[in-house]
Amino acid sequence: MTLLELVDVTASYGPVKVLDGVSLSVPEGGSVGILGANGAGKTTTLRAISAMVRRGGRITFEGKDLRARRPEQVAAMGIAHVPEGRGTLTRLTVRENLRVGAYLRRDAKAVSNDIDYCLDLFPHLRERIGSTASALSGGEQQMLAVARALMAKPTLLILDEPSLGLAPTTAQSVYDAIARLRADSGISMLVVEQNANLAFRVVDSAVVLETGRSVLSGTTAELKGNDDIKKAYLGA
Amino acid sequence: MAALTRLLESSWTRVVIGVAIGVVLVLLPLSSPAFTNQTITRIAVFAVAVLGLNIIMGYAGQVMLGQIFFVGVGAYAAAITVRSDWGAALGFWGVVAAFVLAVLVPGVMGLLVALAAARLRGLAIAMVTIALPIVGVPVAKRLSDITGGSQGISARVFGAPEWTGLDNDQWQYYVVMTIAAVVFALAFFLVRGKYGRAFAIVKENEAVAASMGISPYRYKVLAFTIAAMFGGVAGFLYIAAIQFTSPETLSFGHSIELVIATIVGGAGSIVGSILGGIYYVLVPQLTNAVNPNATAVVQGVIVLVVLFVLPGGLASLPRAIRRLVRRKRGPDVAGPAATERRTPEGITPGAGDALPPRENEERQNR
Amino acid sequence: MFNLNTFVQLIADGLAQGSIYAALALAIVIVNQTTGLINFAQGGMAVLAAYLGMTASNLLIPVVGSFAGIIGGILFAVGASFALGAALERFVMRRFMGGDPDTAVVATIGLLTLITGLCGLIWTYNYIPYPFFFPSGASFMVGGIAISVWSLTTFLTILAMMLVLQLLFRGTKLGLGLRAISINSRSAALSGIRVGGLLMVGWGLAAALGAIAGVLVAAKVQLVPDMFDAYLVYALAAVIIGGLDSPFGTVIAAWGIAVMENLAAAYLPFVGHDLKIAVPFVALFLVLILKPEGLFGRKVVVRV
Repeated sequence: MTLLELVDVTASYGPVKVLDGVSLSVPEGGSVGILGANGAGKTTTLRAISAMVRRGGRITFEGKDLRARRPEQVAAMGIAHVPEGRGTLTRLTVRENLRVGAYLRRDAKAVSNDIDYCLDLFPHLRERIGSTASALSGGEQQMLAVARALMAKPTLLILDEPSLGLAPTTAQSVYDAIARLRADSGISMLVVEQNANLAFRVVDSAVVLETGRSVLSGTTAELKGNDDIKKAYLGA
Repeated sequence: MAALTRLLESSWTRVVIGVAIGVVLVLLPLSSPAFTNQTITRIAVFAVAVLGLNIIMGYAGQVMLGQIFFVGVGAYAAAITVRSDWGAALGFWGVVAAFVLAVLVPGVMGLLVALAAARLRGLAIAMVTIALPIVGVPVAKRLSDITGGSQGISARVFGAPEWTGLDNDQWQYYVVMTIAAVVFALAFFLVRGKYGRAFAIVKENEAVAASMGISPYRYKVLAFTIAAMFGGVAGFLYIAAIQFTSPETLSFGHSIELVIATIVGGAGSIVGSILGGIYYVLVPQLTNAVNPNATAVVQGVIVLVVLFVLPGGLASLPRAIRRLVRRKRGPDVAGPAATERRTPEGITPGAGDALPPRENEERQNR
Repeated sequence: MFNLNTFVQLIADGLAQGSIYAALALAIVIVNQTTGLINFAQGGMAVLAAYLGMTASNLLIPVVGSFAGIIGGILFAVGASFALGAALERFVMRRFMGGDPDTAVVATIGLLTLITGLCGLIWTYNYIPYPFFFPSGASFMVGGIAISVWSLTTFLTILAMMLVLQLLFRGTKLGLGLRAISINSRSAALSGIRVGGLLMVGWGLAAALGAIAGVLVAAKVQLVPDMFDAYLVYALAAVIIGGLDSPFGTVIAAWGIAVMENLAAAYLPFVGHDLKIAVPFVALFLVLILKPEGLFGRKVVVRV
């Protein structure tokens, strides 16, 4: 069953057309990556899903047309989006950031259980649970952002370049945690990542974007064996 | 239609129109009644005040709520000088001294206030300057030895000299208009030159300005001081035209009316300053004639409507009409302004064109 | 000539007056924190609320008696204020958000003119008394010193309001949401927070707080449309001196300004009653020169 599908999605910022026909699909329980160079439109694709930019084309979620006009509505449908730059609520504490993630939920007991689960998944956060979020390092903030998204108990988790701005070892440990999350829960994911190697750790298949169009797609194995990909994104 | 538009846009036309208006203005007072002359004179006075406000609000982009305070201070300075013993004794040079003081005293005050207020982000200037008229009124009343207290002072700066054969109101008209014209010319060159460009950069993005070596602080202080000095000039002209000043002159209500007039006329525009002066003088007269209690309501509604519909003020009306016409004619009319960028004129809402209108625009992380 | 009686009264009145400044200043801070705007019409809205409360009270008192009528009027004023604030945010100020903040400021100035004018148009520019629980001059004795009832009531009421607000912001989900949107509204939206709705709540809360301040002031000095013009200046001074991002600092600054002002008026002969408004201005000046981010504020670092 397809959880999320994009068919020929277009998007513009004013007169500038950034997406010119992006198609992809995420199966239920699946994990898909979006790869491509800077400016290819990866982030814009995620924004189009989250109704953060005006777009054309068709997006369906759980079989129904996704007609939301505001990001809040998309979030309420079960899509948790960790934005580029993390969106950390800097002046709130770590705990408060997590509680914001659970904003739409009404089950208080389950929420606190989930906070524990997140802290298990990201032990660094447990140590800093009472600190203001701005005091966290880049890697910790990234983990906090992912944890916050998880607190919403989403059906689909969207991650926008988790490795952005992080040192290689830090990025690896962030992906360690994401891989563990995926293995534990099998949660459906859509991951934008410029570093294909990292992405392949956590996705089953991927779509490659080039100047706003989806030009190539395949399973991780297929893409890894593809010479073009190797040259362009894996630095082979 | 296109030919007409091209004709209107050519600079020759503008020069011709300008000269024609100039001729009319010169000849007008000779034949029109005193009241008309006085009204036009008053318009000129407040056009200068609005011009000063435009320097700081329209071009440097800082909302300033104390301009009328500087006008009042200038008026008082001029009046006191002219009426003082030494001022009267100097005759013509006493008037010159009055002018100089009317410019310097507010200028110095403006400088001091700016030095303090300009350090914070733009809104702080608004928040601080709002205090000027509110503090100024009781101070003016209190220093009654100098200022004549609540009664105010009346001062006759000059009557028409014998050799001109003009009436007083005509003479005042010419003098005020001449000084105003000089001030406007000064402003014109200021804005077109290096300072104007620096102001515009500071207004757009202070961080960028700083990185270019343009100190936002210094330029804000400069703009503020210039605005205060223009206000002082307007104060001198005020005394010349109206011959009376009192604490009421620099009241809070007038301060707001001046800001509204600036916005309605067109912030950041020389022509807009003139329109603002017209608005300031004529509109309250009109509304008071209809229903004095409704004046404030009307003013509030007008400024809100202008901000919603025509943020560049009346001065931007021709531009807005042109854009409307062009849009109606369709995209095949490839005018040079097809991808028109909003020039840093006027206090316009931010780049709402880039992203679709959202209910909640992103604000930067604080 | 030092007189303990007078001194205590000055402090008490200063704290009460300062509480009014603080309430208005807090309203401005709430609006600024949630929507990023400075609302110059905050005082005007408070005055309108007071007028509404007066009208409602006058209608109710003949029917349900003095006490209930006054309470009813106050409740109406607060409720109508909340609704008005929310509506203004949604239909007027929303348009200016995300744009040039100076344009938004001018819009609020237009609102101030409009609201003050409306009050004058509907209720005239004459002074109108506000029906209250006790006469404005009432006082009671504490250890031989006369304390104004109004001062005590005002101080306690506004202190209570501040505690309620603190509880709201720190202890409730709504407060968490308000704080989240004030930090990063886009990110908050991604967690499902209805940003638009909370913006309206922010303005509504601020207006309601202003309404209480308005009613209290009207009870003391009687209603007139430009009642809060000077208070606005004090409130803005408190906000700047305390620091725009520090509600605590703002309140302390407000109390400080009012007490200083009263003491200066009484003990510095050249200041006197009419010039005491210059006192906060001087303090403001000094703070701006010495510590521009406010006594309690943080230095703002703007990244390009």
